[in-house]
Amino acid sequence: MFTDVKRWFMWGRTEQSGASQYKWVIEPVGEGFVARVKEFWRYRRILWFLSVQQIKGSYQGYSLGIGWLFLRPLLPILISTFIFGNLLNVPSDGLPYFLFFLAGQASWHVFERSLLMVTRSLYQGQGMLKKVYFPRIMAPISSMAISVVWFGTFTGLLILAAFYYLFKDGVWYLRLGPQLLIAPLCVVASLVLSLGIGLFTSVLQLRFREMRYTLRYFTRFWSYLTPVIYPMSLVPPEHRWIIYINPMAPLVETFKWSLFGVGSFPVIPLLSALAVIAVVLLAGIWYFSRMEASAVDRM
Amino acid sequence: MDNLFVDSLSKSFILGRAPEEQPFRMRQIVNTARRWVGRGPADDAPKGRREFWALKDVSFRVQPGTVLGIIGANGAGKSTLLKIIARVLTPTGGRVVGVGRCISLLELGAGFDPDLSARDNIIMNAAMNGVPKSEVMRRFDAIMEFAETGEFLDTALKHYSSGMYLRLAFSCAINMDPQILLADEILAVGDVAFQERCLQRVKDEAARGLTVLFVSHDMEAITRVCARVIWLNRGAVFRDGDPEEVVDEYQNAIWETADLATAERGRHVNRFGRILSVALVAESGNEIGAAPTDQRCAVRIRVETFIKETITQCAMDLYAGNVWLLRARADKSRRVDPGLYDVYFRIPSDFLAQTTYTVSVSLTLRRKNDERDYPLVMYKALKFMAYTGEGTVERTSKRTALLAPRLNWDIEPFAVRTEADSGQASDGNTSDAAADTTLAADPATKAQP
Repeated sequence: MFTDVKRWFMWGRTEQSGASQYKWVIEPVGEGFVARVKEFWRYRRILWFLSVQQIKGSYQGYSLGIGWLFLRPLLPILISTFIFGNLLNVPSDGLPYFLFFLAGQASWHVFERSLLMVTRSLYQGQGMLKKVYFPRIMAPISSMAISVVWFGTFTGLLILAAFYYLFKDGVWYLRLGPQLLIAPLCVVASLVLSLGIGLFTSVLQLRFREMRYTLRYFTRFWSYLTPVIYPMSLVPPEHRWIIYINPMAPLVETFKWSLFGVGSFPVIPLLSALAVIAVVLLAGIWYFSRMEASAVDRM
Repeated sequence: MDNLFVDSLSKSFILGRAPEEQPFRMRQIVNTARRWVGRGPADDAPKGRREFWALKDVSFRVQPGTVLGIIGANGAGKSTLLKIIARVLTPTGGRVVGVGRCISLLELGAGFDPDLSARDNIIMNAAMNGVPKSEVMRRFDAIMEFAETGEFLDTALKHYSSGMYLRLAFSCAINMDPQILLADEILAVGDVAFQERCLQRVKDEAARGLTVLFVSHDMEAITRVCARVIWLNRGAVFRDGDPEEVVDEYQNAIWETADLATAERGRHVNRFGRILSVALVAESGNEIGAAPTDQRCAVRIRVETFIKETITQCAMDLYAGNVWLLRARADKSRRVDPGLYDVYFRIPSDFLAQTTYTVSVSLTLRRKNDERDYPLVMYKALKFMAYTGEGTVERTSKRTALLAPRLNWDIEPFAVRTEADSGQASDGNTSDAAADTTLAADPATKAQP
């Protein structure tokens, strides 16, 4: 008796006092967009939690610790620098090729990894998705959290590299100024694009196990259509639009421009890329919310 | 007021592969091309693709404080029902209306992440169920206390045994102060002590107004805890009512279907002889279909032997449901010549209880001067009901034990016994029992209340 009273008293003190009596309805037809957004907001703590777990889980048990974090992207970049910069002498807008390629990779690699993580998210989260309810879309969104770490790593590498060249050649390549703020925005835009595409691929991954491998294959070609290993200036101006159809191209180009002031700030391609990203994201959300129920059936 | 209302809920799954999931076949490409040209098969939908209704038109209402048992064979839709109420699956039709916080324990777990520690999992689980962190912290001790896994609080769950995992999951769920708890097979892996505490806790919480949907294959637990039972059969509510009645009916039904499904009934014939029939007979020798518990009856095994001087030894196994109650052996082997024989296993009066029994018989045949045994076995050779006739003592409970032998008993004034006394007393008992029954039953089995 006493515990009961105490319990209700305690309930009353929390902000959820009404929650104990709220009514819920489950129906075949999903709720409307506004209801979904509200629900998303109600579950926002899960998003944070899943994101933190994603990051914790990825770097748990690494014996090299933080060193590995930097080493993992650095080694392939060093190899590529040697091949493209030293052997093939690919031009780099006057920058040391290593720095140029590092910046390109920073924006491209974060996008690519994020896309692969989002694609895998539903497949990996099956155990939980089958047992408890939370808005499904949180699984793909939270799986992008790791990209923040990657971006941080690349930022660290870029700063280290800039200092390295400062001491070696006495040149400070980074262009400090307000335009530097555009760089992270480019990365954010590319992450949104990866989410938009990932909302499709994560659902498809459940049906076609080879989705992820196919995608990996595909992104390799995509990276060649993006000015990562070569500068945009290498492309004849009359053909640049072909490259700029790819929404990642202006993002990478702008990223490099905002860091070093090399290349150009492609206004129109950038706007068209943003439009494409918005469309892809909306289509992804639409597709995902239409397919999520049957996706869980399939798990 | 009901706090859970399930209204004509249906759920269908598509079995087989969707067309776009079919592996590429040349014929498909050719057919598509022919369709474009304008002639060709209308549709090359893959065969074997069909709808499967896991739930069909399931409706029920539950009042607060009810423990509702859900029983049914595997694949009857129990878990699907719970998953829909937990919102994990989306229904195909119908709807569910609930009031209050609904917490689920599906598929042996609350959706824990094996890589996280117990502490992190509890916090995450609470978040998933909409419990604020401050409240979880307040309940933390209660959760750990009930789970009894306190010393492993910071151990990753993947190192937990399945029992510990379940304890934590259950403790976590019940301490979140739900109004509705969905429990799917929560007793499956816990030890007996934990099962007891689990059931007791469920009862206590129900008394305070918690609604529990309790899926289990443990019928004993179901009848003990539940106030009402729903029997799902192929996705539909087959029975809904008093636990004891529904469970009894369910157990009889499974037993019957299991009986039919037994393709292998043992070896009935070999070169020494064969089992012709097994029947239940009354004292008069007439075959009967059911045994009155207050009269003597016998299991008659009709055997034919083919070879001279076959050494025969018999045994009979008695089952109730899937419990092997006892094995009755013939006291000695006999030597028989070719011909037809009846073997009787006599069942004393006041021995059976009011339930359904199944009999398996085995016959071991051996030739003289041959070491080897040639067994003849007939599994589930006979099934019969026992019923209490008149003159039987009324039992208080409707549910019966599996055996109800009338034992000799006495009441004596208390006195300190010497060892010699007690030895004598037990001797007396044994001889009594031997005189009463022709069955050599295991005394431990017989001594069941």
